[in-house]
Amino acid sequence: MQGWVTLALLLSLGVKRSLAQNGLGEPRGLTLNPDLPAQTLSLAWQSDSTLFDLEIFHTEFMNVVLNATVEVQADPVTGLHSWTWHSPLPLECTSHSVRIRARNQQSVSQWSPLQTIPGWDIPEKSYMFPEDKMIPVGSNMTFCCIVNEKEDFKEIKYGRQEMKATRLSRRSYAITVTNQPASDNTGTNVICSSQKFQMLTGTVVFVGYPPGDEGLVCETRDLASAECSWKKGRDTHLRIKQSLTNYTLNGRDCLEANERKTWCSSKMWEENWTLEARNPLGTVQLTDSAQLTDRVHLLAPVNVAAVKVEAWSATLQWSWSVAAYKKLEMVCQLRLFAHELSSTRNYDGPGLSSVVLEGLWPDVDYTVTLRCGSKHSFWKWGDESAPYRIHTKMDRPDALDVWMWMDSSNTGHVFWKPLSVRKSHGALNGYEVSQSSAEEDGRNTVSLPPGNFSYPILLNNSSDVTVAVAARNPAGLSQPSTVTTPAYRADSQLSVSELLGTNGSFVLSWEPNVSASSGYVVEWFPTGCTGLCPIDWKKLPESDRSFTVNSDSLVAGVRYTVSVYSLYTSAPTLLQRWQGYSQEMIPSQSVSELSLNQTGSDVLLSWKATEMKQQRGFIRGYTIYLASAAHLDLIANITDPAVQSYRVKGLTLSSYKFVVKAYTSAGEDAGATVAIKMEMDTDMLFVGILVPLGIMFCCIILFSIFFYKKREWVKKAFYPEIPGPKVSGDWSSPRGPLDVKPSPHSLVHIVKNPEWDFTKEGLFPVPEEEEESENDNMEVDTDSDEPALLRYYNQVVGDGSHSNQVSDSSASSTASMGSTQTEITYAGIQSPSSSQGAYSGGGYRPQMQSVTGPAEPQIEFEADFQDDGLNAGYKPQCSWQLDSPEAENFSGSLGSPTSVTSSQFLIPESSEEKPQPSNTWFHNFLSGKS
Amino acid sequence: MAGRSANGRHGLRGHAGRTAALARLLHKDCIQLLELYRNSESLPSSPVDGDYLVSIPPLVPQLSDEEKISILHAALKECLRLLEDVITREDAEFSDEDSEYKRKRKTVRDRLGHLLASTEQLLVDGQKFEAKVKEELDGQAASGSFGLKMWIVRVLQDLVHWTGQTSDTLHSMPAEMEKAPKTMSRRTRRGAGKIRK
Repeated sequence: MQGWVTLALLLSLGVKRSLAQNGLGEPRGLTLNPDLPAQTLSLAWQSDSTLFDLEIFHTEFMNVVLNATVEVQADPVTGLHSWTWHSPLPLECTSHSVRIRARNQQSVSQWSPLQTIPGWDIPEKSYMFPEDKMIPVGSNMTFCCIVNEKEDFKEIKYGRQEMKATRLSRRSYAITVTNQPASDNTGTNVICSSQKFQMLTGTVVFVGYPPGDEGLVCETRDLASAECSWKKGRDTHLRIKQSLTNYTLNGRDCLEANERKTWCSSKMWEENWTLEARNPLGTVQLTDSAQLTDRVHLLAPVNVAAVKVEAWSATLQWSWSVAAYKKLEMVCQLRLFAHELSSTRNYDGPGLSSVVLEGLWPDVDYTVTLRCGSKHSFWKWGDESAPYRIHTKMDRPDALDVWMWMDSSNTGHVFWKPLSVRKSHGALNGYEVSQSSAEEDGRNTVSLPPGNFSYPILLNNSSDVTVAVAARNPAGLSQPSTVTTPAYRADSQLSVSELLGTNGSFVLSWEPNVSASSGYVVEWFPTGCTGLCPIDWKKLPESDRSFTVNSDSLVAGVRYTVSVYSLYTSAPTLLQRWQGYSQEMIPSQSVSELSLNQTGSDVLLSWKATEMKQQRGFIRGYTIYLASAAHLDLIANITDPAVQSYRVKGLTLSSYKFVVKAYTSAGEDAGATVAIKMEMDTDMLFVGILVPLGIMFCCIILFSIFFYKKREWVKKAFYPEIPGPKVSGDWSSPRGPLDVKPSPHSLVHIVKNPEWDFTKEGLFPVPEEEEESENDNMEVDTDSDEPALLRYYNQVVGDGSHSNQVSDSSASSTASMGSTQTEITYAGIQSPSSSQGAYSGGGYRPQMQSVTGPAEPQIEFEADFQDDGLNAGYKPQCSWQLDSPEAENFSGSLGSPTSVTSSQFLIPESSEEKPQPSNTWFHNFLSGKS
Repeated sequence: MAGRSANGRHGLRGHAGRTAALARLLHKDCIQLLELYRNSESLPSSPVDGDYLVSIPPLVPQLSDEEKISILHAALKECLRLLEDVITREDAEFSDEDSEYKRKRKTVRDRLGHLLASTEQLLVDGQKFEAKVKEELDGQAASGSFGLKMWIVRVLQDLVHWTGQTSDTLHSMPAEMEKAPKTMSRRTRRGAGKIRK
């Protein structure tokens, strides 16, 4: 161990010796001079060298914050080397230590002893640095928080933003904020908090901009002093009083200027002006240069008044608040505002203080404002005077525009146009109308109130009447306007041309008339108007040959009569007349009195045109549509408006709906609708029914005659004679009761019921049709393989009306026994319900046994029988009584012995009184019986 | 205080009732004013550490209601002085741009003046108390603009505290006080004469 120490000392001595041998002396007398607000550290030392290595540490943790080699010349006077270091960190944040050594290329001297400036992290209080710094937007800055003893650092917030802190020493922590945004009104708070307190300490930083003012302009108001103004530039964001922008004008403080007031004054005019705007972040200089006469900005004239007001002129006077203006060559601008118009007039002169306003209108309210400027080197208009009101006097009205319109040969109206404000020259009191004729002496004068614009004229004789009209106001009477009655010309007396509107106007032209020495009058009014019509006219000079009636005075869809008169000394003469629409529209009403008349399969539609007021255009024709459920089918287009009927031909028997529309150049109207249901002609209907009937009747008669004459042939051909059955014994007279012993295999079980009435119940034949229908319900024998040639159905006879159908089943059974081809099946069973309804006191009940399957129906019926206790139950028949006389007739209708297909009982005919079966009439017919 | 009627739990009527209502309204205004300031300055919502700037003798139960009112009146008076200082210093340091905080600040100043005038009518004749104000800033707080802001916060905190105390005291007063304000017992005078001036 001692050996190693000895070796180290020897090496150290060797290095020192080598350094001393280089000749570089260690810097001496290093002193540190901190500037805390500027965050700079000034170093001063003595040395013979000019190149030095510098090292600066944060003393507590000996973190190197600077390691640089600098070349510093010695001050020739003091011989000291000085160097200043700008610390990114406030020097108060922690202690800083500095050492220095001289360098000559690769040779270096020994380090000077460490010099240290203490930080504020040594006292026991909490601090935050830097305090109240003002920096430009976008700057980077390091803040440090020194926590006092016994406090645990928690965080540092820049505004609301939590920042990442680094530890500088045991109690000092720092954050670095880059690109700082502009602060709010009272700066940005940086708050240091400990575990115990949310606001341990803090500081405020003011981030803003240097002044941004621009556009300095100086001018004079009184031809002596100066007023300089400029535009406020970008907001500096520095709101604390000590950071507000200060202004100086040509080196003099401009105290009146501030953030809102951007002007400054000087008592004397100087040709060159310099404004300096300064705040802690910077300075901006604005300059301006001008002669006084080039920057005259006059004050407003005062005491403006009208000293003389006439109908057509007024004299205006004013004065100046600055005496120097009286010699200034100036130009003044007068602005006149009236109800409908405004005008501007300029006047000039030295020290102008009065003007005469010409060209005013009588009885008009004017408002006058006045402003002036320097005539030479005009800079800008001065301030405007307060508005001054002038009301001009009245004057006599202008002459009226008069026209006379005749609505008959001896009646008419004289019209005049109301005078505008400009022409009346004062509120009118009324009108005076004077009428005179060549045959009568003197004038007949009438005074009318101001609301009248026409006066009726009545011609007593054929001479022309001249009417003079004048307007009156408080200033007097206007010049009278005269008009002579024009000759009346009805439209029928003239060839009235059709006039087409152009863009809502009428464009008229006419041939010149040599007699029109006083020009022309174009007159227009709604056609067909009578009485006080809205007559309009326009007087034109004699040189005019055309005129356009503007759309302003025309109404679309109204027919107008337009006339041109030539004027000369006597009465106006009608030159030309038109009728037309300024703009055609579709008719407002459909055709009227639309009717139709059917002629056979044709229909004649007829209608009447709408009235002229509703036409709203020249009717160019009619369209006829056949209306269906969804659309209209055009069937005719009548282009001649005079044609007001149309025949639709060849229609079938159906319903039709026709729509007739009138159309103008603007289009069709809504249309009138008429409907018809086509009916057949009654004569044809009569013929159509009677002719087939007659033909059919004739055919029937002919067939009847034919068949009657050929009845023998028909009988042989279609119904040959059937031989009767050949049997032994007498079958023709079984008068006694036929006892039938029911076979044990018979399908019929005879129920013995002593109370049974044969007149009520029995077996009777059923026609084929009934059989089929009943089979559907009863389902009996449908499975039988045997042919069912005769079937007997047991049926309850409800009343005596059916008694003729009751038959003797026993007889039929007997008859069937001898036939091998005949099988009698008693399958039909009267339903119990029917029995009950027809015969409640018991009686006949068919046997329930069946050949094919008695079991199932038996079960069904047993239940019914139990319910039927009052009827004494089902009992087998004990005997058959042949008490029905009709039974004997059945034998007569038996068919062929080889094939018995008849559904009748095979019972010999026994009585003539029995009614004939229903099919015997054809037998009789064929056999010739009646 | 929540849930009490406008005139207090004991149903104060007349002037005392109106004074209590005004105190409550002012207390709410002060809370809003502090909140507005904290929001505009992005300050934490926790109170600034340290004692109240205005200090008064403890409001021990032995004191009568009238004496308590007198003491609180003295505290409010100091609060008004501090608030006016705040206004002066703020207007001197920062621009006088209009803001909701400044409008509310004016409202509080006006209402505090009214409350002082109103409570003065409830005081016992000739009885005066004095409150002390800690003028020096706490050593933990920094100086400069931040120190000024912390001082403003503390003044506003004092306003909230003392207006709340006054409101509570006024609302806890019995209804009969209104009837005979001038006949306050000698007992209460005897118990609160320590800081009489």
